[in-house]
Amino acid sequence: MPSLMQVRNLSKSYGKHLSVNNINFDIEKGHCIALLGPNGAGKTTTLRMMAGLLLPTSGSISFEGAIPGSDYRQQLGYLPQSPSFYGWMSGEEYVVFAAKLSGLGSRDAVKMAAEVLERVGLKDAARRRIAGYSGGMKQRLGLAQALVHRPRLLLLDEPVSALDPIGRREVMEMLREIREETTIIFSTHVLHDAEEICDDIILLNQGVIAEQGTLGALRSKYRIPVIRMRVEKQEQAVQWLQSIASRTFVTEGQVSGEDAVFNVSDIKEARQVIVQEAAALGIPLLHFEAGSSTLEDLFMKVVGS
Amino acid sequence: MDEINWSLLWPLLALQVLLAVIGLFSLRRTEATRGPKWLWVFILIFGNIIGSIAYFVFGRKDI
Amino acid sequence: MRGMWIFSQKEMLELVRSYKLAWIPVVFIILGIMQPLTTYYMPEILKASGNVPPALLESYEMPGAAATMAQALGQYGTMGLLVLVLAGMNSLSGERYSGTAELVLVRPVSMISIVFAKWVAQLILLAVCLGFGAAVAAYYTGQLIGDLSWMLVIFATGIYGLWLLCIQSLTLLFSAFLRGPVAAFMALLSAAALSLLNSFLPNWLEWTPASLPAYSAQLLTEGSKSMGSALTGSLVSAGLLIILCIIGASLITGRKKLID
Repeated sequence: MPSLMQVRNLSKSYGKHLSVNNINFDIEKGHCIALLGPNGAGKTTTLRMMAGLLLPTSGSISFEGAIPGSDYRQQLGYLPQSPSFYGWMSGEEYVVFAAKLSGLGSRDAVKMAAEVLERVGLKDAARRRIAGYSGGMKQRLGLAQALVHRPRLLLLDEPVSALDPIGRREVMEMLREIREETTIIFSTHVLHDAEEICDDIILLNQGVIAEQGTLGALRSKYRIPVIRMRVEKQEQAVQWLQSIASRTFVTEGQVSGEDAVFNVSDIKEARQVIVQEAAALGIPLLHFEAGSSTLEDLFMKVVGS
Repeated sequence: MDEINWSLLWPLLALQVLLAVIGLFSLRRTEATRGPKWLWVFILIFGNIIGSIAYFVFGRKDI
Repeated sequence: MRGMWIFSQKEMLELVRSYKLAWIPVVFIILGIMQPLTTYYMPEILKASGNVPPALLESYEMPGAAATMAQALGQYGTMGLLVLVLAGMNSLSGERYSGTAELVLVRPVSMISIVFAKWVAQLILLAVCLGFGAAVAAYYTGQLIGDLSWMLVIFATGIYGLWLLCIQSLTLLFSAFLRGPVAAFMALLSAAALSLLNSFLPNWLEWTPASLPAYSAQLLTEGSKSMGSALTGSLVSAGLLIILCIIGASLITGRKKLID
């Protein structure tokens, strides 16, 4: 059983600038995948190539093991970052038009459009002109047109980043429902959004995949023992904090002012040494935490470097 | 030739009025115009056929 | 093919909702009325404007019905063409620059369907405008100046319309890769350049689409017997130009789906 979509050695360059650099991944049927990365990482370019809007400079995309280049657009639902519609159409007319273009018969198109508009909460506004819709309504209409023909793969580009907190919550709830029915890949620059509804994460930075895998696997892979601490603003205390960084049990340390984060090899030893020394020297500790690093740390590290 | 044949002239005037009325109707429904709406009302009413064409071609943002 | 049909319906709805199917025909009818009226009342207009030497007034000769009708069609080649080109300049570029293309092109619909649907909408707009406009112009000419052969008017209008359709098709082609106003400018420039070349070298370029307005006028004034094989050449070359524009526009749209 081949995966739903296979992306192989995909690259896209604009002149000398490599926007996407030789990326590989598979999309498994039924999964929800987050394409995570900072702005300019190549997320939109990747999604556009998957949607057939951009020709890759090299590499291939194949749908269900079909030869690359065959037309799989009927199976796709796509929502760009800021969708634009024909302002002179009503929401209902647009969704029906979209459904027909994706191959639905007239009667089915009308029926499915009504269903999907109700689902995204646009039932009452369905007959109004899109020109009068608010930003949130347009985003929901965008979701409706992407869903109306029951696509097997849904491509969403930053579906929640332009929304206010309430709109964001609504769309996230909808996505949680939709992920039960179809395969989703969506791009985001917010780790929290990815963690909330996805199984898999592809972390993209400067056109390269920095890390990919299931959420669980990545979490355990990056669970490194970590000590976070803060001292009061005092010369002696800060000096002591800096001296910790060069101890043998510290594999990597970062001290910024009164705050410090240390990756350690042996958390028991580290805790003992630090607490004892702090007590003996009378260091005014404000905060001390022994725990493990999170995906947030990984994300910050990848993006920061 | 000496007396003006009004039955042939009035349709011309009526059509010019019709053009302006279509323009005003469209202006009432449109969401966004280039420049203030009152200016386009003025242009449609007093701008003759050229004013109306200018409105339909350049006046509306969301055609 | 189904995609083409769905897209044509959308284009037709757009013509109606954007009021293009209302205001452009009205403009054409106004132009059609104005030409015979000004021809008929020219002596009064000249008299009213004062300082025109009486000798000139005496020598003013009313053009015949056929010539007046040809002048009315000529109005559609200037003002009418300007309006049609301005109305069509955004047909492809507007979709690209506003971003509506992005949502359409991810669906299984071919470029040629989209471009052809847009061309059909332009053709329908032209047919409605020219049909009503020329009919009213012929009626006024008949009332004020003299009798016309309806058959000749219909054919002459058709020939003139083909020239206008050529420029509309060029607008569509330019609209596939330029911004709307630039596309309109390029299309009008091509129309002017073609006409100008044609008037300098009429014998060399008698087979080009730019000769069609001249053939239209000739047909009205001299009748169908005067028409030679050059008209056939112009009709064929106009058809080829239109087909090339449609194919070119679809190839360009297919290559350049989004603005960078």
